[in-house]
Amino acid sequence: MNSERLRTEICGIKLDNPLILASGILDENGYTMARILREGAAAVVTKSIGSDERTGYMPPVVSPGDGYLLNAIGLTNPGIDNYGEEIAIAREVGKPVIGSIFGKDAEEFSTLAGKMESFGVSALELNLSCPHVKGFGSEIGSDPDAVEEIVNEVKRAVSIPVFAKLSPNVTDIVQIAKAAEAADALVLINTIRGMAIDVFARKPSLTNVYGGLSGRAIKPVGVRLVYEVKKETGRTIIGVGGISCAQDVLEYVMAGSSCVELGTVLMEEGKGIFSKVSTELSILLDQLGFDNISDAVGVAISK
Amino acid sequence: MINSVITGISDVAANVRKIDFKWDQKLLPGQFIMLWYPGVGEIPMSISHLGDPKSITVKAYGTVSSKIMELGKGDRLYFRGPLGNGFNVRGKKRLLIGGGSGMASLHPMIERGVHGIVAGRTSADLIFLDEFDQDRVLAASDDGSSGFKGTALDALKTLDPESFDSIYVCGPEAMMFGIMKHLAGKNVYVEFSLERSMKCGIGVCDSCSIDGNQICTQGPVFSLESVMKMREFGLTRLTTSGKRIRF
Ligand SMILES: Cc1cc2nc3c(=O)[nH]c(=O)nc-3n(C[C@H](O)[C@H](O)[C@H](O)COP(=O)(O)OP(=O)(O)OC[C@H]3O[C@@H](n4cnc5c(N)ncnc54)[C@H](O)[C@@H]3O)c2cc1C
Ligand SMILES: Cc1cc2nc3c(=O)[nH]c(=O)nc-3n(C[C@H](O)[C@H](O)[C@H](O)COP(=O)(O)O)c2cc1C
Ligand code: FES
Repeated sequence: MNSERLRTEICGIKLDNPLILASGILDENGYTMARILREGAAAVVTKSIGSDERTGYMPPVVSPGDGYLLNAIGLTNPGIDNYGEEIAIAREVGKPVIGSIFGKDAEEFSTLAGKMESFGVSALELNLSCPHVKGFGSEIGSDPDAVEEIVNEVKRAVSIPVFAKLSPNVTDIVQIAKAAEAADALVLINTIRGMAIDVFARKPSLTNVYGGLSGRAIKPVGVRLVYEVKKETGRTIIGVGGISCAQDVLEYVMAGSSCVELGTVLMEEGKGIFSKVSTELSILLDQLGFDNISDAVGVAISK
Repeated sequence: MINSVITGISDVAANVRKIDFKWDQKLLPGQFIMLWYPGVGEIPMSISHLGDPKSITVKAYGTVSSKIMELGKGDRLYFRGPLGNGFNVRGKKRLLIGGGSGMASLHPMIERGVHGIVAGRTSADLIFLDEFDQDRVLAASDDGSSGFKGTALDALKTLDPESFDSIYVCGPEAMMFGIMKHLAGKNVYVEFSLERSMKCGIGVCDSCSIDGNQICTQGPVFSLESVMKMREFGLTRLTTSGKRIRF
């Protein structure tokens, strides 16, 4: 269901509602992305794609718990040169597809960005924050100089909007947000580092030992980081982390997000979650007296 | 993660072993678990026996399944589940068609009066053949070393599918694709249990997906009608890295 109340846009990209599929969840196969768009997502972010084909870690790659999920998939991806077909399949639906990429430095990010743009994506999301592959992600995302260089170079390389997805695993998020100044929007947050041990097996539950925490449990962390970055920088933000219902969406929006991404909730609720939350959100906005979702952006921020 | 001590082990066929364990859980035929060998890996495995004890029937294909073959009575099994939807058992006259280890997921539906086609590469690969009424089962092997020389589809062609109320199929996708084409439009209820590379088992990683359906959560069992609508079935799939290949 797409009411006028939900219609919005992010960096000029029109969205039927503020709900986007988060990177890494059900977005490896073009047919799955197409299905999710048809079931009510306003847009999808692809899984993070790199230069080379990667199988990722041996399962177990997930360790589900009550209200959370730990994962260490290992940046599984077919390599950018094998990914165009999936985007083409997803784009048949006619809704925006956002291409997520990861790399080791500004040069690699720029090359990937150019290829993604040529596949026809509406925007790019830079995964600066994936916490579980040595040499990628967090180590880059926690270094302000590297973040600045990557975002600047990618911006020079493409003409579509560029979103920088930041890691929560840093001491000073505002410093990193400022380093990503050239980005058109910031995406907050990626997973939080964590791990679990099976006491009977006396071994870590994930093959990679360390994983990323997502799901309902991380929502307060995400809301706080969105709030802090919005308050300190006023940047355009896409909120993500633990969203599972309309009230969660509005919490992120009132903290300063223009739209949101949903990921782990699909584990419990399935692909129908997008239309379900849209319907609920429309009713909630009406109840609270908002004519449009954009009127609620950042209203909770104390001046 | 659930864990349970192995109560018994028996050999079923060449490189195929049945492992018994206690698990107080109601299950449907066709449901499966993600079985973890700590320190080695995790793979999907059907529950082949739903009584008490429960059992899995494992064929040694590679890394993880071969390690599982090393387990003995008293060792612990680690797993997540139950996963998947399971078969809808219906109709009086039923036919089960299993290829290779696919027979494991059909096993809970074997009973007196049920018909079967058990297929495999050689006679040594045929599993649970002797559990059917002997006048109601056809064996098919690629090399003709047992029963029919040919595939499960060749064996099926000797029968009238419309003489059955329902048909249940599990095996390699190429085999099931042929059977799907053969049964399309016939007046019989058919279900397929699909098998694709699985990593998460909980509908997030997209590795097992076919036409937007997650086999781990929406399947593994799909009706003939839904399988016929799938553009990927039997034709194209993603490898474990996500690279699209043709069969
Ligand atoms: C829902 C579901 C239920 C399953 N139930 C059972 C079951 O009850 N019993 C059972 O024995 N297996 C079952 N399987 C298959 C089983 O999960 C695989 O055999 C297993 O993942 C192989 O892992 P591995 O690490 O041992 O082999 P790998 O090291 O991954 O593979 C080694 C080689 O064997 C090939 N190979 C792997 N699996 C298969 C296969 N299934 N068929 C043909 N070639 C293969 C690979 O291509 C590779 O070349 C099931 C699969 C699914 C999706
Ligand atoms: C299984 C899984 C895989 C993920 N893969 C990626 C990825 O490839 N790139 C990325 O930027 N984020 C990835 N993420 C992080 C999510 O996009 C999201 O930021 C995080 O999970 C928090 O949102 P959620 O609680 O709604 O899932 C992944 C998350 C999960 C659970
Ligand atoms: S195995 Fe991950 S979605 Fe099915």
